[in-house]
Amino acid sequence: MMRFMQWLHRWVSLILVVQVLLWLSSGLFFAFTGHHGMSGHQYLEHQHPAMLTDTETTVGIETVYANYPQAKSIELASVMGVGQYIVTLADKTLYLDATSGQVWRTDATLAQEIALASYSGPGSFESIAAVTGSDEVVGWDAKGFRVDMADDLNTRIYVDAASGQVVEHRNTPWTIADWAFKLHFMDYSGERSFNHLLIWSAGLLALWFSLSGLILLGRNIAQGDFNPRRKPTLLEHLQNTQQPVASSCGGGGTCGLCKVTLHGDQLPQPTAAEKAMLSPAEIKAGLRLSCQHRVNDSVKVELPNNDVATVELTLAAKRQLTPSIVELTFSSERAIDYAAGQFLQFRIPHQEQVLTRHYSVATRPNPQQLVFTVRQMPSPSEGVPPGIGSSYLCQLAIADTIEAIGPFGDFLLTDANARTQLFIGGGAGIAPLRALLQTEQTAESPRDCVFFYGARHRSELCYRDEFEQHTGINYTPVLSEASAEEQWQGETGFVHQVVEKWLQSQNAANLDIYVCGPPPMLKATMAMLAAAKVPRDQIRFDDFGI
Amino acid sequence: MAQHQRSSQWRIWHRWLSLIFGVQMVIWTISGAYMVFFQLDFIHGDHLVQDISAPVPAGTNAAPLTEVLQQYPHSQTIALETRWLDQQLTAVYKLDGHQGQALINAETLVPITLQESHIRELANRYYALEEPTIESVVYLTDNPPTELNPALLPIWQVNYDDFGNTSLYLSETTGEMLVKRHTFWRGFDIVWMTHIMDYSERVDIETWWLKAFIIGTFILMITGAVLLVYTISFKKKKPGGEQ
Repeated sequence: MMRFMQWLHRWVSLILVVQVLLWLSSGLFFAFTGHHGMSGHQYLEHQHPAMLTDTETTVGIETVYANYPQAKSIELASVMGVGQYIVTLADKTLYLDATSGQVWRTDATLAQEIALASYSGPGSFESIAAVTGSDEVVGWDAKGFRVDMADDLNTRIYVDAASGQVVEHRNTPWTIADWAFKLHFMDYSGERSFNHLLIWSAGLLALWFSLSGLILLGRNIAQGDFNPRRKPTLLEHLQNTQQPVASSCGGGGTCGLCKVTLHGDQLPQPTAAEKAMLSPAEIKAGLRLSCQHRVNDSVKVELPNNDVATVELTLAAKRQLTPSIVELTFSSERAIDYAAGQFLQFRIPHQEQVLTRHYSVATRPNPQQLVFTVRQMPSPSEGVPPGIGSSYLCQLAIADTIEAIGPFGDFLLTDANARTQLFIGGGAGIAPLRALLQTEQTAESPRDCVFFYGARHRSELCYRDEFEQHTGINYTPVLSEASAEEQWQGETGFVHQVVEKWLQSQNAANLDIYVCGPPPMLKATMAMLAAAKVPRDQIRFDDFGI
Repeated sequence: MAQHQRSSQWRIWHRWLSLIFGVQMVIWTISGAYMVFFQLDFIHGDHLVQDISAPVPAGTNAAPLTEVLQQYPHSQTIALETRWLDQQLTAVYKLDGHQGQALINAETLVPITLQESHIRELANRYYALEEPTIESVVYLTDNPPTELNPALLPIWQVNYDDFGNTSLYLSETTGEMLVKRHTFWRGFDIVWMTHIMDYSERVDIETWWLKAFIIGTFILMITGAVLLVYTISFKKKKPGGEQ
């Protein structure tokens, strides 16, 4: 129910946001302008009709009645000192001149006089034009005159020819207000109608929008969100204490990123949001969204990545390993407690945004010094830019700093056993494998280590000397594109093909396998291992976080 | 990480602002919907009344204008029209001038004073619905109900026992129906009051608190829009949280 309300509130607001903005802006305009400022009547003179005794009248009302015996009403009034009869018949209204009994006529001179009599502003007459109706006067489409005044408000006065009446005063503030009304009523016909389909729809949406908001607000009050002495949610607590917890929705229970594991005798019941965002198995295992529960002393909170931290790294050394791979050594003031095979997330500033790129540490754990191998991604073809992350990292100078978050990852060595440790790598996938190999080799009683490493050319075999000199590692480099000039005497072809051959003489059940390399190599190797019937749970791989 | 904490701050602001301004937003949408959904003609009560004007009875010997002006020299307008008086369509002169309004017999120029019985008869002729049932007729001289402009006093109030509790207001001098009110107009008046937030006179749209609430709602809306950017997702989330 509440999730539906949230969904409704969000999507309806997305649709409505523009119209609500228009309602608010036009409403604010109305509030600042006021009825009078929007009427167009700033310079409308309040007129007292002249006394009939002072009015030129030669035809009596009884005579007009004799001429129009079907009249419902015959009214005598003064127009600029001249008597005028308004005769209302069943189907029309007539205006007669009381001095002649003939149909009333308004010429431009009289219209100007009538207009000026209705005007109290500081301006003077500018021009007069004969018109038939006006866009500015809804419902008036008769013949008449438009009298323009030279004043600060651009006043124009409309006079009806048949009756000699002032129809309306209009001016610039009125035009602005008219637009505000169009926006407020969503009526662009100029009729200022607020009973039409468009505004019905918008009104209904707005009603749903605000009522769903009200219901959500009621829930927040019931939850105690407005109680200043309430306990913070676990998410707020974790954020306040600078602990690494992700959240993109900010505590609404809609992104599912703030997962934590709770430990305790009485775990809180999962909320609707948790039932939607977490699997039953996760809920059973004590996983909850930290935004959904309050700090409670009887429950212990475990973060998914305990040791994750944001660190500032300073470039200490830079070395070209191969034509395309650069080794970067960073120092960190803050100790980073990582395991071999794990990676850090680098924050790469790029234009307005910050991109993240994953790089595995290339040495056995050393809390103060971190080594990474970065493959420079040249532009694959003209017009396509080179890799953003690698270009940024490779252009760093000594003593430059960069922010990174970590460690992350579960590409770790297996627990103690007697199996042979087989490492299969390609290209920049060397980094985590080197860390794993170094760690294994420094163990008390290292297990047998076999390392196959694939590259295209001899020059791309990074750390070759290091591995060849190491007696504990059975190292086999494989080249896929060796040319005659290279005089390569070792294995050739794709690395997975060489491993396949080697596996034929091995007991697959006695191997722990670690694979890391570019995606095609990884895919081919995994397929080869599956075909060779190596148990899946003895294979670990790192896909570069792709 | 810092960015993610910011959305929490926006959410807190959104909640607190909604507590103050969101409630008025609800009132605005409810009152707005009311005004939008009921047709303005219906609110005005145009369906409740009909035109009762009729041609001046044939053979009326209307007194000449000069005579009328002699007796009522301060007139600004003079109209020959008709009134139903004691079941009879009578020709009358309606005068408007410095002395106020007056109704006189068009033949004899004798002033006509409208009694309650006249008002009842006229009101029932104006009333357009079936079977007019008058509940009460009140001559109002002071303390007008909020639905009536005090400038119109004194005036006759004719209340009907019908679905909309119709009230017709007739001029004491001319017998003309000046104002018509019914339940939905009264409802409109109340929602209009809540819409413009003038709880006393129901006309002032320039109060400082109205401006403050509009600006506050602006801010509420901005916090909501920021949250929208953080939370709205075009990806359909699979149940059980599997991505």
